[in-house]
Amino acid sequence: MNILVFAKRVAAAQEEELRIVNDGQGVDLAKVPFKMNDWDNYAIEEAVRIVEKTGGAVTAVSIGDAESDDVLRRAIAMGAKDGFLIETSETIHDPNERASVISDFLKKESTPFDAIFTGVQSEDDQFASVGGILAARLGLPYASMIIGIDSFENGQVTARRELEGGLRERIKLTLPCVLSIQSGINEPRYVSIMGVRKASKVDRKIFPMNNYQENFSNMIEIIKWVYPEKKAGATMLTGELSNICKDVLGILKENGVCQ
Amino acid sequence: MSYALVVSEIRRGLFEDRNLDSIGFSNLLQRNITLLIPEGDYKINEKFVNNIIKVRIEESSFLNPLNMITALEKVINLKGNPDVIIFTLSSSGTELASYASGHFKLPLITDVSGYDKEKGIFLKSYYSDKIFGQFKLTDTGPFIITVRSGSFKDNAVEKASLPASETLEEIQISKNRTFIEYIEEDSTEIDITKAEFLLSVGRGIGNQDEIAGYEELAALLKAVISGSRPVIDKMWLPKPRQVGTSGKTVKPKVYFAMGISGAFQHIAGMKDSDCIIAVNKDPQAPIFQYAHYGIVADANKLRDNLKVIMKG
Ligand SMILES: Cc1cc2nc3c(=O)[nH]c(=O)nc-3n(C[C@H](O)[C@H](O)[C@H](O)COP(=O)(O)OP(=O)(O)OC[C@H]3O[C@@H](n4cnc5c(N)ncnc54)[C@H](O)[C@@H]3O)c2cc1C
Ligand SMILES: Nc1ncnc2c1ncn2[C@@H]1O[C@H](COP(=O)(O)O)[C@@H](O)[C@H]1O
Repeated sequence: MNILVFAKRVAAAQEEELRIVNDGQGVDLAKVPFKMNDWDNYAIEEAVRIVEKTGGAVTAVSIGDAESDDVLRRAIAMGAKDGFLIETSETIHDPNERASVISDFLKKESTPFDAIFTGVQSEDDQFASVGGILAARLGLPYASMIIGIDSFENGQVTARRELEGGLRERIKLTLPCVLSIQSGINEPRYVSIMGVRKASKVDRKIFPMNNYQENFSNMIEIIKWVYPEKKAGATMLTGELSNICKDVLGILKENGVCQ
Repeated sequence: MSYALVVSEIRRGLFEDRNLDSIGFSNLLQRNITLLIPEGDYKINEKFVNNIIKVRIEESSFLNPLNMITALEKVINLKGNPDVIIFTLSSSGTELASYASGHFKLPLITDVSGYDKEKGIFLKSYYSDKIFGQFKLTDTGPFIITVRSGSFKDNAVEKASLPASETLEEIQISKNRTFIEYIEEDSTEIDITKAEFLLSVGRGIGNQDEIAGYEELAALLKAVISGSRPVIDKMWLPKPRQVGTSGKTVKPKVYFAMGISGAFQHIAGMKDSDCIIAVNKDPQAPIFQYAHYGIVADANKLRDNLKVIMKG
């Protein structure tokens, strides 16, 4: 089984201050650390586990600047055989453009595959769309929110999709297909710095993105970045930690949950 | 005629509440509303829409991207191009919208939570609501969106008359993706929806070893412990303890969130709690917008301090 997995390098913004700059035209990420998109980490792990059973190879593909090589090295350290970088200095927001670049790339480079995995969503843009758009463009069956794969053989995949409120559905798809992998499907293996260093010795291929952009013009564009509209917001408890704790206990008592 | 096509989400015979957000958005656009729905006996207020098109198909086949594009093609043949096709922001809505966008080559914006009609600007969350992007279409043409639940439902209003209704001729069901069965969650674990006081932990607590300390605090406070998705994904807590869209919707007297950022999928599961207290070391954390009380602090330090006081 040959599986292509798409992995994106994203800002790990959860604990960082995000500052909007240039009158809303940009977000300052200069001091923010970057990492592999969490959902893609699960997708690579799942692909590697399948290939360990069925034979074949996992190829990790990233669209991004030269730094996205980090993500490819990490994927190789996890068990991917190859890493392809579709290189661009632009940030492409439109998920249709990203999917179009990918489908053009797959056609032009005649990359063979039995399945394509993506993450459910990018942590930064949360479009949760590149996998589905790509599948449709390729005319392949698609499923997202994949939280378990029961079998992957004889030209078929049986998998579980996550719905709402803890409910799931079991579905069957024919190969080749595109699957978007949900977090929690597995426990991604630990990758040591040594492992990543060793992975650096494996050649990664670079493809300039503008080779795959002819057939597409932007469908949506970003006009401006804004901070979230302020809601009522919380009453902030400040001061010494021990005093804050006493305040908290008072609030609990007031709300009838703690003596 | 210009119209908005609302693709309804029916799950286990229920017309999901979030369909009202799709209807509300159509009203903002001032379009006639055509509701696409699988044929069946559902409780729905038909007066919200102008037209209903029924598809002779099981709900599980209806919410399948391969069949959906066939149904949409039929609708377009019958009614012409809609100005917009609207899906819910859900597991299936997201899947269907992206597939339809790729198939019909139409622009797509997902998780839309605001719309400026004069300027044609769509508001979309980035970085779990820490910032938002204002997007525009580059062309006038039809487009596809998913709308965030709760954002537009107030704009859903009854029309003066009942809708016209018609049924599509049978559509060819795809063999390339088929439904097998629904799987229920294991119900032997504690039911967090019944708890009056939830102590809920997120990725911000750092690692699994910290859980024991939170369990201790929960015992001292007589709280039940729950968590955000990453905590469950990493198996620090069992799945039935997950709060959020793909976990449980809870409404305790007190929801005490520690090290949780406040992504939409989490907020949707706890925002109606009577009292929300949030601890986060990031003053910009979106959860502070929904909390009644906020504390900018290290959650683990606050936990230890509370434990000391409780042990008195
Ligand atoms: C289809 C789908 C369904 C989903 N369903 C759910 C769901 O049901 N429930 C759910 O929760 N999520 C769900 N998610 C995931 C959701 O989008 C977020 O990724 C998730 O809620 C983030 O969890 P978190 O807040 O614990 O982690 P993060 O977003 O990583 O936030 C961690 C927070 O901890 C803070 N922090 C770090 N260190 C400390 C410290 N020492 N002290 C205090 N604070 C600290 C950080 O500032 C940050 O705000 C879903 C996503 C998708 C795509
Ligand atoms: N720039 C990119 N490079 C590689 N993969 C990507 C990129 N953008 C999106 N993807 C893939 O598509 C998934 C969904 O992304 P999105 O639609 O942006 O939320 C991600 O989890 C990745 O697997």
